[in-house]
Amino acid sequence: MVNSLEEAREIFRYRELLRNLVSRDIKTRYKRSALGFLWVMLDPLLMLLIFYVIFAGLFGKSVGKYSAYVMTGIIMWQFFSQGTKVASLAFIKNRNLINKIYLPKAIFPLSVVASSLVHFIFSLVPLFIIILSSGAGLSLNLVMLPYVVSMVFIFSLGIALTVSTLAVFFHDITYIYDVLLMGWMYLSAIFYPVSILPPHLQFLMAFNPLYHYISLFRGSLYDTSQFTMEHIILGSVFALLSFFIGWMIYFRNRDSLLFYL
Amino acid sequence: MIALQDVSVRYRLIRERRRTFQAHVIAYIKGRRIEKETLWALRHISLDLRKGEAIGIIGPNGAGKSTLLKVISGVIKPAEGTVIANGKIAPLIELAAGFDDELTGRENIFLNASILGFSRKQIEDRVSSIVAFSELTDFIDTPLKHYSSGMVARLAFSVATEANPDTLIIDEVLAVGDVRFKQKSKERISEFKDRGVTILFVSHDMEQIRNLCDKVLWLDHGKVKMLGEPSQVTEAYLSSSS
Repeated sequence: MVNSLEEAREIFRYRELLRNLVSRDIKTRYKRSALGFLWVMLDPLLMLLIFYVIFAGLFGKSVGKYSAYVMTGIIMWQFFSQGTKVASLAFIKNRNLINKIYLPKAIFPLSVVASSLVHFIFSLVPLFIIILSSGAGLSLNLVMLPYVVSMVFIFSLGIALTVSTLAVFFHDITYIYDVLLMGWMYLSAIFYPVSILPPHLQFLMAFNPLYHYISLFRGSLYDTSQFTMEHIILGSVFALLSFFIGWMIYFRNRDSLLFYL
Repeated sequence: MIALQDVSVRYRLIRERRRTFQAHVIAYIKGRRIEKETLWALRHISLDLRKGEAIGIIGPNGAGKSTLLKVISGVIKPAEGTVIANGKIAPLIELAAGFDDELTGRENIFLNASILGFSRKQIEDRVSSIVAFSELTDFIDTPLKHYSSGMVARLAFSVATEANPDTLIIDEVLAVGDVRFKQKSKERISEFKDRGVTILFVSHDMEQIRNLCDKVLWLDHGKVKMLGEPSQVTEAYLSSSS
């Protein structure tokens, strides 16, 4: 416990590095493309277009404000999936540094999730445009948005620590996680309403943290009926659980990582 | 001050490195257990360095020289023994490891200095003297991918030595840049020594070792073969390898 706090303090001491890693990621990711940073906003819009063309006829009637519904799902999903997917390689890609200079290593998966958060914040711009143009007003639950986002951030960080640490010992983890993410996406009610699922699957949705987060996200933006106590409690529990497990896995292996990189 | 007491570092060499599940499953079916072989990269090393002392570390490849530096800088935790290293340690180990090609020289100064643990304020205070020493003022806002390798090395050297460290770790990187910059970097290192900075210097160049160091440690297979006067130890080392 004491050592855990010490490690956390070390991470805080290296906060300038965290800031630089995030800003490097933002600066370099779109540097070679003509539209540059605009892609952060174009990407979810194009995905929305695809989902809309394919599924609007199917689900558009049972879900009100279908474009807002899909767009919130896409953006919340990408915040989580992009962050953890890139983070799975966080130690492997930085093996050169980890091997040569002392650093609190958790800074690498942390910086990946943090830069995913920055992308998420920028993608709120097209999201608000879609919500307002679909005729939905923004809800007062908006004040709860920071809490919802923090939950997802902590949940993602836990998964990122877990996957990035395990991937050092078993490289297959990164591929397995990719496949897992794809299945997970289809199970997270991004472009369909939960009501179309058979009852036993609807019950199982309670165990899908992303379902809670996406529902709360919709609930805090425009569809207040989705902002329920059940989602808040389960979402918070999953976030803490994920962070606790991820931290333990990282913390126990942080000194031996080096020998496997 | 740096003190190592009875330090041992163990690498677990797995004879066949099984990184994939497939390999594990096949090995399991064949009934083979993972054969782990341990290699002691360092064995029972004790060493005391006073403030301002310069020690040279010599020995053949694989003797444990770099591992020793990593233990002192905190990259590797020893399996046995204790390491005490007070104060700020600046590693000059393959300097450019923390650079990013796409970023400008200035952005890389911030990135690299924060890798060494600097706060934003500390970096801002040092940027201008880092740029001045590197002699890259005209290129500092150019992306690093347009730099020559000598320019990259000059920038890295300038960042690491501007750290104002208590201990400087040098792993064969004195040959940086052109002849003139080499001379300049050597001078800077001697200045450090005069200011009371402890120096750990790994090199195969016995001439440099004799010029810079107060004592020399000869490592062989992870053990101390000899520790003492630079001229004595380097001579013994040279005559043993010839």
